[in-house]
Amino acid sequence: MTPKTCFLLHTMNESLISPFNITHPTTVQTSLFALASFARFDATGRYVATARVDGTAAIWDLDTRAAVRVLDGHVKAVSSLDWSRHSRYVLTASRDWNVVVWDLASSCVPAQRCATLRFDAPVVSASFHPRNCRIILALMSTGEAYLVDQRKAHRSRVELCELQEESDDDGAGPSTRTRSAITVARFDSSGKHIFMGTSGGYILVFNTRTKTMVARHKITGAGAIKGLEFTKTGRQLVSNSVDRTLRQFTVPTYPPPTADGAYIEQELEPTHRFNDPINKTAWHAMSYSPDGEWLAGGAADTATHKIYIWDISNEGQFANALDGGREPLLHLHWHPSRSSIASTTNQGNILIWHCPHPERWGAFAGGFEELDENVEYEEREDEFDIEDEADMIRRKMKEEEDEVDIDTMPEAAKPREVQLHGVQAGDEDVAWADDEPDDDQQEWKMRVIMEEDWDM
Amino acid sequence: MSVEMDVDSGDIPLQAVVDASSMLPEENHAPAADVSKSLPAANAPLLDPIQPELPPEGPPGPQYKIRYSLSGHTMSISSIKFSPDGSKLASSGADKIIKLWDTYSGDVLRTLVGHTEGISDIAWSNDGEYLASASDDKTIRIWDMKVGTEVKTLLGHTNFVFCVNYNPNSNLLVSGGFDETVRVWDVARAKSLKVLPAHSDPVTSVSFNHDGTLIVSCAMDGLIRIWDADSGQCLKTLVDDDNPICSHVKFSPNSKFVLASTQDSTIRLWNYQTSRCVKTYSGHTNRTYCIFACFKGRYVVSGSEDAKVYIWDLQTRQVLQVLEGHRDVVLAVATHPTKDIIASASMEKDLTIRLWYDSN
Repeated sequence: MTPKTCFLLHTMNESLISPFNITHPTTVQTSLFALASFARFDATGRYVATARVDGTAAIWDLDTRAAVRVLDGHVKAVSSLDWSRHSRYVLTASRDWNVVVWDLASSCVPAQRCATLRFDAPVVSASFHPRNCRIILALMSTGEAYLVDQRKAHRSRVELCELQEESDDDGAGPSTRTRSAITVARFDSSGKHIFMGTSGGYILVFNTRTKTMVARHKITGAGAIKGLEFTKTGRQLVSNSVDRTLRQFTVPTYPPPTADGAYIEQELEPTHRFNDPINKTAWHAMSYSPDGEWLAGGAADTATHKIYIWDISNEGQFANALDGGREPLLHLHWHPSRSSIASTTNQGNILIWHCPHPERWGAFAGGFEELDENVEYEEREDEFDIEDEADMIRRKMKEEEDEVDIDTMPEAAKPREVQLHGVQAGDEDVAWADDEPDDDQQEWKMRVIMEEDWDM
Repeated sequence: MSVEMDVDSGDIPLQAVVDASSMLPEENHAPAADVSKSLPAANAPLLDPIQPELPPEGPPGPQYKIRYSLSGHTMSISSIKFSPDGSKLASSGADKIIKLWDTYSGDVLRTLVGHTEGISDIAWSNDGEYLASASDDKTIRIWDMKVGTEVKTLLGHTNFVFCVNYNPNSNLLVSGGFDETVRVWDVARAKSLKVLPAHSDPVTSVSFNHDGTLIVSCAMDGLIRIWDADSGQCLKTLVDDDNPICSHVKFSPNSKFVLASTQDSTIRLWNYQTSRCVKTYSGHTNRTYCIFACFKGRYVVSGSEDAKVYIWDLQTRQVLQVLEGHRDVVLAVATHPTKDIIASASMEKDLTIRLWYDSN
């Protein structure tokens, strides 16, 4: 199966509608009036979580387009938000120095927090470990990153510090390099490594289990790193930086950390660079399509809402610029499995983009097939022959003897196992993360809470 | 009597007309008696005498035996449904009430009163906490099954609501009725999200597939339609050559097929991707009423107008067992989600719900 056909198989509807032309979203399907500063899909794509500058966050159900939970726990703006892999837990980080973990399985209204992590500076971003949401990575506005492990046997809070080169290499004198601030911190797709961008234009790679630095990559010409995003498999990485260029890299495979603390010092050469050659716009956010075939970039344009789409499978060629109207864009996030994007405007509205299928009116008529163009009809030899009724019944009976399978789920309905980059069977880091697992089960479902009537 | 006439002369309820004939119960799964007369009866019996050949040596057949006979309803029972965990059975009837029974003891647990006209269909939410009911009073009501109270009333249908079902996440409800529309509802906010002008006759059955992405509906116009749940677009129309009234339809557990009952006394399993009928089940009688059919493991189960319940082998299409005991048309059947239990419910002259346990 080629990556592009993943899309085709995603829902049976799409195969019923049209087996072709499923690419990137093209038009706005709906707009949610959320007063949000950004919005993120959960892993199922059924919900978006939105964050507001007043410190609240909300969970929206995309089926009903209604806010189904309000998470009120911060006194200052929510700066970042993350979903656990099966959507039971949500994490909000705020400039009020706190990170709050919410359990959506609790059906209290308003929602109750299940953990609060306090730091001593405003938190600019925080995220769950992809395999265990009791491990949390948090980045302070002061440029320090912490890995917080809340598991009993591993309880710790470790600052991830960049290793400094021995200054006596070049003789004497103080180190010429000052410690640079960390500007972005992310787990990779498997959670084995933590990738951090620095104000000095470096990407630092830490092993999550040992919390030691395993690599430092110079990104020439980038300047301070503003953002990092991985594809679902973790093979590709895109960076956003102050030079207004998005760079895509192929993620190297890192050897297991050694006892002596050695690390790789290597410049990373981008496979693609994406920028706007004419307006030189900066980028607020970027997001890969679930198959990694497309990259969407949200332009930091002050007058319009523009999303640029690049076709990664086609040499990274520019494919389209989506126009979302007059409200400038703040953030965007691609749906975890479909050709859909959620983009947030500076007025706090969430635009849900989709790729509409043209209505096929032929579907209303039974036994008709709609054709795209005229074809010469070729009649079968016996097509209009009158068949003996008894023969016909016998033929139908014969046809019905074939076994039918009414129980086996179609391939597309099963969650696809993604082969994660750099993960082998029996991986020590994976085993470490799976120790003391969280109770975020796949079968878990968010309860529907009946909304109180206003007049009651 | 055409359905359209009833809609126009809104002040004359269909039930009054049916009552006048005194032959038919007020109950709503039976409103189309006159419509069914227009059936091309000549075509249908052709299939009846031919039964598939007996398989040489198969697994032991079902041995369902009556365990409980539950009485409580005072008018025809229109729909029965097991709760998702199977511990309870809910029933609805033309007597405007919903009753809740204990599956394993047969005790009546609760009676829900509120609808002002007869109820045609009920559906459990996936977590078993709520029940939706569709009524001739043009409303759908949502009941909290823990406390036994009505929590929402969904208003919008302009005529009798005839069928209702939840999506797997139970945040949406789909309903169909005599106003010929299929409606999708936001349950928690009692808000209509979509109104699909789905058919040109009363909608008799509607439900979601296993992941909630598709909706299947069928109607007295004889058409089965598959819809995209998200966009509301029609994806496919299935129609049989003779166009018999289609009275019940549901997806197979894996959603690759739909099981459709038609009033030519036939149940068909359709592969809707290829638009082909892959299995035909017959032997029962169904010419007048909208009778439910269900899957039960490797069986297909349906009620019948000869007061019996029929169990077919899914693959061989052979009638494996006929459950006798009811004294009137068996409109509703339900199969237990985990155990080998079948429930059946009958009309006016009987008014019992029977629970059948497989003794194998």
